[in-house]
Amino acid sequence: MTKLFKTMALLGCTVSGLALSAGWASAGEVTWWTPNFNEARARELVTKFEAANPGITINLEITTTDGLPQRILTALQSGAAPDVIDVQHGWVNGYAQNNLVLPLDEVLTGREDYIPAALDYVTWEDKLWAIPYRIETHAIIYNKADFVAAGLDPANPPQTWEEFAAAAKAMTKDGKSGFAITGGGEVGNTIFRSLPFIWMAGGGIISEDGTEVLVNSPETVKAVTYYTDFFKNGISPSSTLENDGTANRRLFIAETVSMYQSGQFDVNSIRQENPNIDIGVMTIPHPEGADTAAILGGWSLVVPTDAKNPEEAKTFIGFLGEAENQAVLTDTFPARVSAMEAERFQDPILNVFKEMLPFGRPVPVHPNWVQITQAYFDGIQRILLGDEDVQTAMDGAAEEIEALL
Amino acid sequence: MQRQSTGYLFVLPALLVLGLLIAYPVAYTGLLSVTDNQGNYVGVENFARILGARATPTAFMNTLWWVFGSIVFQVILGVLAAILLNQNFRGRAIVRSVTLIPWVVPGIVAATTWAWMLHTEFGIINYMLTAPGIIPEPVGWLTNGSTVLPVMIAINIWKMFPFVAIMVLAGLQSIPNDLYEAARIDGASFWEEVWYVMLPQVRPVIVAVTLLLVIWALNHITIIYAITRGGPANRTLITPIQIFRTAFESVQFNQAAALSVMFFAVAIVVVFIYIRTLASNAGEAR
Repeated sequence: MTKLFKTMALLGCTVSGLALSAGWASAGEVTWWTPNFNEARARELVTKFEAANPGITINLEITTTDGLPQRILTALQSGAAPDVIDVQHGWVNGYAQNNLVLPLDEVLTGREDYIPAALDYVTWEDKLWAIPYRIETHAIIYNKADFVAAGLDPANPPQTWEEFAAAAKAMTKDGKSGFAITGGGEVGNTIFRSLPFIWMAGGGIISEDGTEVLVNSPETVKAVTYYTDFFKNGISPSSTLENDGTANRRLFIAETVSMYQSGQFDVNSIRQENPNIDIGVMTIPHPEGADTAAILGGWSLVVPTDAKNPEEAKTFIGFLGEAENQAVLTDTFPARVSAMEAERFQDPILNVFKEMLPFGRPVPVHPNWVQITQAYFDGIQRILLGDEDVQTAMDGAAEEIEALL
Repeated sequence: MQRQSTGYLFVLPALLVLGLLIAYPVAYTGLLSVTDNQGNYVGVENFARILGARATPTAFMNTLWWVFGSIVFQVILGVLAAILLNQNFRGRAIVRSVTLIPWVVPGIVAATTWAWMLHTEFGIINYMLTAPGIIPEPVGWLTNGSTVLPVMIAINIWKMFPFVAIMVLAGLQSIPNDLYEAARIDGASFWEEVWYVMLPQVRPVIVAVTLLLVIWALNHITIIYAITRGGPANRTLITPIQIFRTAFESVQFNQAAALSVMFFAVAIVVVFIYIRTLASNAGEAR
């Protein structure tokens, strides 16, 4: 009996010891989760911060983007969260609504210096729940040589939907695809690339206040038809249904695709892997008489409600929010206008991406957004597979989404 | 009686650990399935919602195809491979080791490699088929609605048949030589030996292995999720992946729990029927 109790007591100690060690953090220590693409620049900033603030140690933990939302959600709900987390703008609202992060209005300096859409993204009930530091939108990356080969002028890329479709068609020859859309991979890939077309046409997946289904409205159907027709007319590669953004970039690098949508982060890898391509960038084409549009993407910093050292965390976020530090940390563009003056944003190839920023919009906020987009994406795949026409597929998606609102 | 209760005390630690690791999660899943995310009791609402989802019947049918298709070919191929590997030939040890490779490769590595090999544009499979002109143009193995599930099943067969082979081979090697000799004296051909000596002797092994395969196929996520994530348009969505997606992508733990409970019940019934039929058959055979 005694032995049994001893064993159990020992087991109990081990378990509670493990639980304690997971939540152990000494005063003045800030644990910061940042994705791997930030690592080098984050280390640079941590060194700078620690030199200026001797009382605070920053404990850098590197995350990977695959499965990151699930990992963060688990950490936030477990009560053993880090002090600062890098998250995408779109995730912040859900955290705020479930009381998982702290409001950060007091930390924000230079409110008027920020791109308004970035702050709107992370605002809920008039409070700011995150400090955005990185913003970006897509544009269309194209191969200038393919324009010339098709008898088009690479200095004057198409502006409207009709011009663009005609150009894409002209470049589809000799085994090349004029314009690659996505139809596979993670849902987000296709949302990021097709939702802007829907917005330009005046439609949506759901209304901005999340009360109405717009996915089978005539405007949305028109835009989805425009998007999916690139595949149906043989302009997008036959592998479209298995391609995500990365696959499209590979096809572009292999010079089998002439145009595709992406952000500026693709430019460097194209230059490295195939220096022969003369890269052009154009704004996403718009319907005659309407503005272009894009989804505003990017990253923000949040402080979990369960953070061990929230005050030090806020000091640190305040430091990262300074314009010169934002200019270092961001992989794409900084959320502050004044930070944009830094040397690294002056490469002319970035100009069009900068032009696209004011047209960037946040995606609607809804607790079931992931399932809503999944229903829409399934509809897109049914169209691409040839199972259903656009109207039927979107009606089906509308029925599913209706149940989720 | 005294002795028996002392015995219970001795197994208590093990039971406690089992309880924590198995009974608690099972019970908690049950609880999740009848509550909402605030913990309020909602009856069968989660069940009704997930059953009403468009993907659920599709996933169920896909699961049936997936399990049935995988098992039949895994067992047939595995047994044939075992019989082959049981023969005496030069280099047998090497062939035996090589056969095991698909099973030893980590699932996620195998899946990603297959996804690349099957890619329509730059996959080696289409290259090998189109270059010598076997097929006129590349096949969209993973994008064609009618090929994608069979392709997934084929990968699963490739991955698991070595396991069947090695288990059956072990069974074959325990067959005493007398049986073969007796059969040969009676003038049995090779295939008669297979049919009347080998298969009856390894029957218990095949039964047990098949049961394992059924359970593994029912639980499967890795290959399909890594290659297609259940797409395109849910063509390869099987119920375990639907549960995973509902819980960890849509963060609807309650509906996922409801689906798990139903799936668990179905799986139990399948396994039960399987054991009952095979156990009674085995009795008749004797």
